[in-house]
Amino acid sequence: MAGSVGLVRSTVVVFRVLLGQLRSPARLTGLGLLGVLSMVISWSVGSGADPSPVQHLDNATGVITLFTFTLVLPVIALIFGVGALGDARDDGTLVYLWVRPLNQISVVFGAWLAATVISLPLIVIPAALSALLLDAGSELVMATLVASALAVVAYSAVFVMLGILSRFAVVLGLVYVLLWEGVVASLGSIGAKMALRGYANSIVTSRTGVRTELANSAESTSIIIFAIVTVVALLLAAARLATLEVD
Amino acid sequence: MADSSLPPPPPPPAPPVGQPADHVPPPPSADSRIETPLVGVYGVTKAFGDVVAVSDVSFTVGPGITALLGPNGAGKSTLFRMLCGLAAPSQGTVQILGKDARRDTAVRGRIGLVPQQDALFDRLSAQAFVEVAAITHGLDRPRERAAEVLGVVDLDPGERKPVGAYSKGMRQRVKLAAALVNDPDVIIADEPLNGLDPVQRKRMIALFRELGESGKCVLVSSHVLDEVARLGSDILVIAQGRLAATGNFHDLRALMDDRPHRIHIATNDPRALGAELLRRAIADGVRVIEDGVEFDTTDIEAFGLAIAPVARELDVHLNGLVPLDDDLESVFRYLVER
Ligand SMILES: Nc1ncnc2c1ncn2[C@@H]1O[C@H](COP(=O)(O)OP(=O)(O)OP(=O)(O)O)[C@@H](O)[C@H]1O
Ligand SMILES: [Mg+2]
Repeated sequence: MAGSVGLVRSTVVVFRVLLGQLRSPARLTGLGLLGVLSMVISWSVGSGADPSPVQHLDNATGVITLFTFTLVLPVIALIFGVGALGDARDDGTLVYLWVRPLNQISVVFGAWLAATVISLPLIVIPAALSALLLDAGSELVMATLVASALAVVAYSAVFVMLGILSRFAVVLGLVYVLLWEGVVASLGSIGAKMALRGYANSIVTSRTGVRTELANSAESTSIIIFAIVTVVALLLAAARLATLEVD
Repeated sequence: MADSSLPPPPPPPAPPVGQPADHVPPPPSADSRIETPLVGVYGVTKAFGDVVAVSDVSFTVGPGITALLGPNGAGKSTLFRMLCGLAAPSQGTVQILGKDARRDTAVRGRIGLVPQQDALFDRLSAQAFVEVAAITHGLDRPRERAAEVLGVVDLDPGERKPVGAYSKGMRQRVKLAAALVNDPDVIIADEPLNGLDPVQRKRMIALFRELGESGKCVLVSSHVLDEVARLGSDILVIAQGRLAATGNFHDLRALMDDRPHRIHIATNDPRALGAELLRRAIADGVRVIEDGVEFDTTDIEAFGLAIAPVARELDVHLNGLVPLDDDLESVFRYLVER
């Protein structure tokens, strides 16, 4: 195996460094506000007129899946995922992780951990609070918590990979999130299978019984898909990192 | 990623094309390094689209300081990046200790790179930054080692301020400390003296010389001839992606003095002065322009000795003398076109 530094030790140091770099006040504030916005919307829906408990659960689930899972979650994961290695590549600090007797896996893995650790609270806390504010029962809260946490893990891996595949990763990521997952995936079943959002929705559906967009797999299937996506994305990212031209 | 199973890189040690081989300092003793130069560049070309950044460059470097001297855009950083494995040559081979750092991650542990760019992990203290370098090199006792090398570059390991708040000169020294943390065999420093004040510059030059004398291979790039002169180094002149000249500072100085110089003299009688300089064959291609003469000379020394007596003889006033091409750019242009 390439690299003479222990995998755990190097992963931990990469994680620590990149977590520090990602923690910029501007980013935290901006993306924190996005979470607050989702809570405000949820609160207004939750405190609005109540047709019937069943109808209300439908509406509340709709807010979570159509706003939180479609926009808030992937956008936050995108900014931190792409930033984890993309920023280092753009500003020239990547050399300090690259010209080292390390396995590239540990660099990618550390970056993914950093992106996930910083995105998780910013996504999962507002998402769970939104579900609470929607006031549609504890099942929706638990479903939101589990689905968002698992989705962040997979999204982060995909976006860390995107961050070293392209210098336009944020734009490409937005196109994927808004156009592909938001629109194209709704049009056909192959597209739907390629949308991570569908697997998050599936977890919500299986826990609340409410039909959601693109949801057509069991919770266990969703978890396996998330795991596979994560591993494959990180392996591809490591392979790409090894052949990257670093400035 | 089995480095060991890769076929060995093509063995190119054909004598560097078009280059005198004697610019390579002889290895100090009969050890195994005689066969494998610390740094080897063999027929290397690097193109970015239409831009050829490095063009068919070959040289080898042994222990001691070697400077890569060249103007902006000459290809110095590109060459250094290829040596460290950060970029792949479009053609040719680069080797550090006989290995290609792009494929062999282990050899990266024997390189100390001071990159040109100013960027650091801005939120870390200097001590933490260098500790990261130590850990990523797999060193034991990273904290002690980081404090030690910070001391070598005159920085305080106890300073809590993040490096993002450091001055340019201090950041340069942080970069150098990080590059030295693994006690590298090959130090590759891209314009490391940029942004240092004269005192620090002097200290860093002394440090580089010490490292060179201790048998390490120290490659330093610069676009300042004076800096290179003080490093007392072997010099590789690179311009427009090509190796334009090699030698020590004195060889280079001689080359520069031999080249034609263009000089402007402001005088009250340009015609008389111009005619006399031509007659004495001190100048060729004299042009008279309103308040003076402009001309080329290949023998700057003879010109310097003759000009005052000539002026006295003709009774003309010399109001000013300006060398028109004494900037390094024109020296490089001359070396490339030569
Ligand atoms: N990643 C890149 N993509 C495209 N062109 C590049 C890239 N890197 C370098 N170049 C080009 O290659 C040439 C050599 O650049 P390089 O940075 O190696 O020069 P240099 O000698 O280090 O210059 P300087 O003294 O300004 O640092 C320049 O024309 C530059 O624009
Ligand atoms: Mg440069």
